[in-house]
Amino acid sequence: MRAQPAHRASVMGRWRDWAPLAVLVVLCLVISLFNGNFLTIGNLLRLLNSAAIPLVLCMGTTFVILMGSIDLSIEGVVAVTAVMVSLLVVNDISPISIGLWAVPLAILVGGILGFLNGFLHVRLKTPSFMTTLGVGFAGIGVATAVLGGFTARISDQTFRFLSLGRVFDVPMAVWIALGAIIIAYIIQERTRIGRWVYAIGTDEVTARNAGIPVERTRIMVFMIAGLFYGLGGVLLAAQFGQGHALISQGRLFTAITAVVVGGTALSGGVGSILNSVVGVLIVVTLANGMVLMGIEPYVQQGVQGILIIIAVALSLDRSRLDVVK
Amino acid sequence: MSIEKIITLKTSRRSLLKGAGGALAAGSFGFSFPMPAIAKETTWTLANSMRSVANPYHATFAKGGENFAKSIDAKYEMLVTEGNSEKGISDIKALLQRTGGKLILNVDPNDSPDARVIVEECKKAGAYVVTQWNKPADLHPWDFNPNYVAHMSFDGVPTAKTIAGELFKAFGGEGGIVALGGILSNVPAIERKLGLDMAIKETNGKVKLLDFQPADWNEQKAFDITQAWITRFGKDIKGVFAANDGMGMGALEALRQSGLAGKVPVVGIDGIEAALKATEAGEFAGTVAWDPLWTGGMGLAIPYAVATGKVDIAKEPKEHREFYGTGIIVTKANVAEVKKGGGALDFNDLWGKATGQIQYRG
Repeated sequence: MRAQPAHRASVMGRWRDWAPLAVLVVLCLVISLFNGNFLTIGNLLRLLNSAAIPLVLCMGTTFVILMGSIDLSIEGVVAVTAVMVSLLVVNDISPISIGLWAVPLAILVGGILGFLNGFLHVRLKTPSFMTTLGVGFAGIGVATAVLGGFTARISDQTFRFLSLGRVFDVPMAVWIALGAIIIAYIIQERTRIGRWVYAIGTDEVTARNAGIPVERTRIMVFMIAGLFYGLGGVLLAAQFGQGHALISQGRLFTAITAVVVGGTALSGGVGSILNSVVGVLIVVTLANGMVLMGIEPYVQQGVQGILIIIAVALSLDRSRLDVVK
Repeated sequence: MSIEKIITLKTSRRSLLKGAGGALAAGSFGFSFPMPAIAKETTWTLANSMRSVANPYHATFAKGGENFAKSIDAKYEMLVTEGNSEKGISDIKALLQRTGGKLILNVDPNDSPDARVIVEECKKAGAYVVTQWNKPADLHPWDFNPNYVAHMSFDGVPTAKTIAGELFKAFGGEGGIVALGGILSNVPAIERKLGLDMAIKETNGKVKLLDFQPADWNEQKAFDITQAWITRFGKDIKGVFAANDGMGMGALEALRQSGLAGKVPVVGIDGIEAALKATEAGEFAGTVAWDPLWTGGMGLAIPYAVATGKVDIAKEPKEHREFYGTGIIVTKANVAEVKKGGGALDFNDLWGKATGQIQYRG
C-alpha cells in the first residue's frame, strides 16, 4: 500500500516486515544448538500450550494498539471472566453449574466490559490509558469482592477439557487459540472495521474527513478486544482449574510486550494480527529457551530486555517516524 | 459609636450568652442519661491491617481478627494497604485519630521500615500494637513498653526443611528435584531456599537439585517454567519443591498437562485451600499451614489482655514479645484434621502456640 520511491527502500520495507519472524527463527536455532530437546514435538506442543492464552489476549490488544490507543484493562477483564466462569461450572463455592454455557456468557461479559472501556473513552473523551486502567482496577475489585479473597476450585471435567483435552494430540487450548487467530485475521482483512482501524491509527483527522465513523469504530474495537479477553479468562480458568482475583497477574505486560515485539507500532497504523502471533511466539520461546539453556535466573531478565529491544529496533519503520516520544 | 448602638450590642451579647448556657445545660442533661443498649461492651476499637483481602492468607487473617472481636463484642475494622506503604500508614494514623488512641492494632506491615513508623505513632497515641512478619531487625517491642506488645513471625528455614523432607520421602528419597523460589530479595523466599538447601545437604548426595528458578510467587510463571523443565529434564524430575502453594499449583497444572499429576509429587508452603485439596488427592505431597486464623485473632487477643490490665507485658519474657508461631506440616495423614480447623481457638491461651524467640540471621 505504501508508495516506494526506490528499489532499495522496498527491500528494506520487506525486511522489516519479516524481521520479527527472522528473530524467532534465529532464536529457535540458537536454543536447539544448546538443547537438542527443544525441537521435539513434545516441547513444541508445550510451547504452543504456553502461548495459547497470550495469543488469545493479544488478538484483542492488537486492534486497540493498531488504532493508536492502549488497553490496560486486560488483567481486570480476565479476572472478572475467569472468576465468573469458575463459579458457573461445577465448583466448590457456588452451587450453580451450567456447564459449557458459562463459556459464551463469560465471553459476553468480557465484551460488555470492553464496550464500557470504549464508551467511557469516547463519550467522556478521557484518554484510553486512564479509562482502561480504571476499568481494569474496577474489574480486579469486583473479582476480589465476589470471592472475598478465596479461590473457587473447578471440578467440572467437561469444562477443564478446554485446556486439558487433546484433539489429534494437540491440546484444546492450542486449537482454540488458532480459532481466535483466524477470527481476528478475518476481522482485520475482510471487514470494514479492520480497514478503519488502520485508517484511524494512521491519521484520525483524515479518517474522519473520509467519512469513517471514528467514535463508533473505537467503541466497537474495545468491545471486540473485551470479547477476546473474555475467552482468555475462560482458558485461564480451564488451565488452572480455579478462579481467583489474582489469576491474571502479569498478563498485561506480556500481552503488550508481545504485540510490540511482533512489530506493531504503539503509535498506531502499523502492524497486524500475524505480527502479534510472531511476537507472542518470540516472548514465549525466549522464556522457555532460557530455562532449557540453563541461563542463570539473575541473567534471564537482562537477556529478555536486550532481545526485546533488538526485535523492536529491527522491525521499526523509521521513515514514518518524525518524532520519537 | 453611639449609645444606642452599644446597648443593642450588649443585649445581643447577653442573649448570646444565655443561649450558650442553655445549650450547655441541655448538653450535660443529655450526657447524664445512661448510654443506650447498643453500646459495645468495650470502648477499644480492634483492627487488623494487611496487604489485600484478594489473597486467601490475608482474607483468613482478617477473619481471625473478626472472630476475636466478636468474642468480646468489640468494634472491628479491616485496613487494607493494597501493597502501598503510604496508604497503610495514613489509614492507621486516621484510625488512631478517630478512636482517640483507644485502638488495638494487629498489623502485617507492607514493608519492614513501615513497622517503625506504625509503632511510634501507636506509642504516641497510647494505642497497643502487634506486628506480623515484617519489621526491622533492630526494632524491638521491649523498647516501646507497653504499647508495642509483640511481634509474631514464622520461621521459614525449619519449615521449608521439613516439607522438603516430606517431598523426598514421597519419591523414595533418591533422585533429582526442581525448585521454584519466590522474589529473590524477599525474606521468606531466602529463608525457604535456605531450608531446602539444608534438607538436600542432609541426604548426602542422594537428592540432587536439577535446577532452581525464581517464579516470583506467580502461578503462571511457575506453570511456564515447569513446562520447560519437563522438556529439559523429562523423567529425571522426581519431585517439585515450590516456595509457596500458588507456584506449587502452577507447577501441578503443568505436570497435569503432560499426564504427570499425581506421579511427580509437589510440595508447597502456606496451606491455601487448593493445596490442601491437592494434598488430599495425592497430587501434593504436602504443604505448611501457617494458621492465619490464629495470627489474626491472637494478634488482637494479646494486646487486648495488656490494654485491659490482665497482663503486664513489660514483665513478660522476650520469647513472649518476639516469637514464631507454629507452622503445621500438612500431609495426606493429617489433611482432613487440618481442614476441619481443629476446633475453636482458645483466646485465653495467649502464647500456647508460640514456638520460641525469633532469631536474626545475618
